[in-house]
Formats: sequence, C-alpha cells, structure tokens
Amino acid sequence: MSAALQLVNVSKSYGDLKALDRVELALPDDAYISLLGPSGSGKTTLLRVIAGFEEPEQGAILFNGKRIDGIAPHNRGIGFVFQNFALFPHLSVSENIAFGLVNREFNPITDMASVKTRVRDIISLVGLTGLEDRAVTQISGGQRQRVALARTLVTEPKMVLLDEPLGALDANLRSRMRIELRAIRERCGVTFLHVTGSESEALAMGDTVLVLERGHIAQSARSDLLYNRPASPAVARFLNCYNLFSGSIADNIFVSQTGRFAIGGFRQPSSQPAYAIRYDRVDIRDKDAPVHQDEVRLEGNFVASEYSGSAINSFFSLDDGRVFEVESHLSRSAPQTYVEKGRYALVWKREDALVFA
Amino acid sequence: MTMAAIGDETQVDTTGKRKPSGPALWLLAPGVIWMLLFLVLPILMMVYVSFWTQTTFKIEPTLTLKSWITFFSSETYLGALWTTVRIWLIVLVSTVLVGYPAALFVGLFVRNKTIQTVLLVLCVIPFWTSFLIRVLAWRPMLGKEGAINLILMKIGIVQQPIEVLLFSELSVIIGMTQIYCVFMVGPIAFMLGRIDPSVIEAAQDLGASFGRIFRTIILPLSMPGVVVGGIFVSVMVLGEFATSAALSGRKVNLLGNIIVTQVGSLKWAFAAVAGVVLTVLMGAVVAALLRVVDLRKEL
Repeated sequence: MSAALQLVNVSKSYGDLKALDRVELALPDDAYISLLGPSGSGKTTLLRVIAGFEEPEQGAILFNGKRIDGIAPHNRGIGFVFQNFALFPHLSVSENIAFGLVNREFNPITDMASVKTRVRDIISLVGLTGLEDRAVTQISGGQRQRVALARTLVTEPKMVLLDEPLGALDANLRSRMRIELRAIRERCGVTFLHVTGSESEALAMGDTVLVLERGHIAQSARSDLLYNRPASPAVARFLNCYNLFSGSIADNIFVSQTGRFAIGGFRQPSSQPAYAIRYDRVDIRDKDAPVHQDEVRLEGNFVASEYSGSAINSFFSLDDGRVFEVESHLSRSAPQTYVEKGRYALVWKREDALVFA
Repeated sequence: MTMAAIGDETQVDTTGKRKPSGPALWLLAPGVIWMLLFLVLPILMMVYVSFWTQTTFKIEPTLTLKSWITFFSSETYLGALWTTVRIWLIVLVSTVLVGYPAALFVGLFVRNKTIQTVLLVLCVIPFWTSFLIRVLAWRPMLGKEGAINLILMKIGIVQQPIEVLLFSELSVIIGMTQIYCVFMVGPIAFMLGRIDPSVIEAAQDLGASFGRIFRTIILPLSMPGVVVGGIFVSVMVLGEFATSAALSGRKVNLLGNIIVTQVGSLKWAFAAVAGVVLTVLMGAVVAALLRVVDLRKEL
C-alpha cells in the first residue's frame, strides 16, 4: 500500500491557539482510517485543512504525490461528509445526490440520462432505493447520513473525509451504520478518513487508528496494537480502559504516590513516566487472599459497580482518594457482590502492566 | 387569515388530537370581537355603502350600481387603477433589486450576529423620523435646483437640470423604493441568515461555482423571505397616497389618492367603490404571492 495522502509539518493556529502543531501523517490507499481525539484536539481542523476549507500556515499536503494545499476544495478530488450532513433542504434525495454531477464547474454532466444512471447506481449502493423522490426533511437520520455519503461518492472522489458522521445518530443506528459504512467503503474502494471522539467507534471501524492529541498525531497504529500498546500516557488515558499512575522509576520498581509496583512487563519509551494497568486485567480478591510472586497488589475500598450486560465495572477508592476501575467479564465468572466500603485486594500480573519511561 | 392562524396555533399548543375545549376558547374572544368590530364589520359596511345612491349633496341607502358603473366606465379611474398596478410592480421589482444584494451581504457574508444586528438597525434608522419628513426630504434632493441636479451640473455631466427627477412618476418610484426597501431587506436577510454555512461549503466541495450555488441553493432557500417582503411592500404600496401626493405634484393619481379626494368631497359611495376595488386587488396580490412559496412549509 502506497501513501495516498501525506501531510508534512503542517501547522495551523487560531490566534494564540495552536490547533495543529507540525502534523506529520501518511495515509494508505484503499483503507478505513479513523482519527480519534478528545474534543479540542484539532480533529475537525485537520479534516478541514485536508479538505481545503482552511489553509495551513506552514507545511505541505500531498495527495498521490502532488501538492494540494492552495488548491480549491473541489479540485482536490477529496469528498467531505459533514457532521450535520448539510443536505440541501429544498431538494429531494436524488436531486441532492445529483447536485455535484450537474452543477460542478469543471466537467459537469449535461446528459440527464447518464446522471440518472449514476444516481440510481449510487442509491442502490448505499441502500436508499425507493426513497429517490422523498424530500430530505422527510427521511430518518440514518437515511440522511446515506444521502450525504452518496452525494459525495457519486462524484467519485479518491478519498472521503467524514466529520463525526455517526454523532447525530442514536446508539442503535450508530452500530448498524458502522457496519454499513465499512461495507460501502469496501464496495467503492476509496480511502475513508473518519473523525470521531468515541474510542470504541474508532477501534471498531478503523483499519488504522490515528490518535490526535493537542494538535499533533500521538499515535498511528492498528486497532489492536493501539489498544494494547498505547504510545503515551495521554493516549492510554484517552482510550478509557487503563488505570494510570504517575511517578518515577527506581531499581525496577515504579514509585508512585499510591504505592510501589514491581516492574515486569512491557516498557514504552515516553517522556513522562507512568504506570498503566488495563481495567480488565485486574482481579478482585479478599483482603487476606494469598498473592503470587509475579503479582502486584493494591488495596482499595469498594464504592460502586456498573452492570453493562457482558461485564461489570467496579469502582474502588484507593487510600489517596483516587478511583480505580476494574472490569470483570461475566463470561468468565458469575457476578460477584461486594460489600460497600469493604476493603478488597486488587491484584494483577506484573507483565500485564504497561510502563512508560 | 389572522383568525385561522390563531385557531391553528391553539390546536398545536394543546399538543394532541384533543380540540381546545370551552373555557380555552374564551381566550380567543377579545381578538375575535376586536376583529369583528373593527375589521370585518367595516369591510362589510364599505361593500354595502358602495351600492348606495350618491347625489351631489347627499347619500341615500337606496341600492344602485351607479357608482360601480361610473368607476369602470371612467378613463380617470381606470387610469388610476392601471397607474397603481404599474407603480406597484415597478416598486416591487426595484425594492427586490436594491434590497436583495443588501440582504445577501447582511445575512450571508456577515457571519457575526452582533454586526448583523447593527447593520439591520442601520437600515431602520430613517424610520426614526416621521413618514412625511422622509417623503418631503426627497424634494430638495430631486428638485430642479436640488442636490442631484446641482452636483451633476457642477461636474459637467448635464448642461440643463434634469426636470423629470421631481414631480413625475419617477420621483414617486424613487421615493417609494427608498421608504419600503427595508421591508424587503429584513425578511430576506432573516431567511439567508438561517442557511447553514456548511450547506454552502458542501456545495463548494461538490464543485459548484458561486453563481451556481446562488442560483440552485441560496436563491431558492431565500424565496420565502422574498415573498414575505413582497407581501409587506405590496400591501403598503397599493394603499399609498401620501408619497404620490407629495412627490408627483398631483400628476400621479393612485387609487389611494382617489379615495382621499372622494372622501374629502363627501362622495362616500364612490370612495367605497374604490376601496372595494383596492381591497380585492390586495387580496389577489397576497394570494398570488403566497402561491409562489408554501410559507407554512418553509418557515
């Protein structure tokens, strides 16, 4: 796979705020890429810079080897799907989809029959058959999403940017559209760059997941790699599945305010030392239960638990007041009940922990 | 029309298929009584009086078609009707031509809400003076020795003052366009301001030029504003008499002027005929404009 889109040293700021800070990026051809970042991390700015709605202050954007910064949005061969879909409210479904073909400045299609054919093809591709003549105000959120996508895809862009495309849909529809979006992408073989603030969405959808943090790319990796080996404490925190401790390392022991943890697992080079243990790698035991040689132990008071069907998340308050979260999968054992304010031992294997140093 | 709208809103407010019941309906009573007494009754009276018998010195409630026949066989009155329609159409077009670009600037290109409000308030500033002063202020502007002629002669564009500027149909049109333009700007700017900027960006991304985007997206989405503005301007221009009296030197006679003169000389039946014709004309114009856009759907 060659790099289709390349960003070299791209920066963009609004006043004093650096929205993008020397972003380096290379995206492969024919892939689903999700761009994950907390709100305010510059996700939308990055997308708008790639699309051409904003110009970067420095750096270069290359698309298939050609520089595209400075070129008008519609001449870049990149489609954009807006967060709120931005459909033309006075046009029908098929008129919305045909808009680009008929009205574009460069090479518009004047033969109505061929416009019709292409619109019909794309409508069946995204699964909107039968709704061609409906007003876009009379269809559901998921259908509007498909119209927005079809409107872009029909112009045959080489890449499609999607700005939080599932944000406006309800939870049930969201999970169905995830599968749908991936399937549509595979059928047309273009690269999708999907921006989202939801870590589960990013992991589920992306062949590659990019994590944006304070204006720069913190990590770019396959979903499983990202989840198991976050590149920095910030990425780990954002994935929302790690208990994190800051501190320092002395003699193969991680010293934090909460306690001292023996180190045995993977070490990730990082400027900020931190110790991370996944929620689902922790065992909850009685206070007096024995501990093995290769295990790390911490004590905490049970606060509350949250049932999510397949798992239970239990929250413990540590001695320094911090909250420690444990995820117990119910497929492995029957749900346990814990006494409120009762003291328990929280135990995990040394090598399961991630150490940033 | 007003009544129907009020009725509908009440139904929506009660949310559900339940119709507003007894006590709630009493809320409508003051409005209904007011409208009956001061709108419906006078209109019926006007229609009735238009069939009364008018003699030189008095009017009798004996029904006759005489006033109607006189109106529709007199060249003066038919001429006034035609002038009214012509001036209304010209003013309507010129307020759109002058108002739309201004509204486009305020509603679409100024994205800062504060500046938008300030600009719209600026449009309304002329209304801080009285209507007559606004009309009469055009005289020193357009007159034979007025500001415009003076300047044009100073810079040598014309040798002789342009006399057609004042006391002509042109001066009436200029005056009316200025006075009523703001009623066109407001509704259009409001509709344009409601267009989601990302809709226009989407059209750009799909490759459309600004001209195309204007024609296919911006103009259709702002049509309800044009129609509402058109209704405002039409209703006011069709009933006008002061501007034409002050700026045409009585050369331009609108239906409004006819009514004023007839009432002045106590020819009530005749004034009533002109009034009915004017009311029917306005009703037809509003109905036609509402045909253009389904406001209920759009707003």
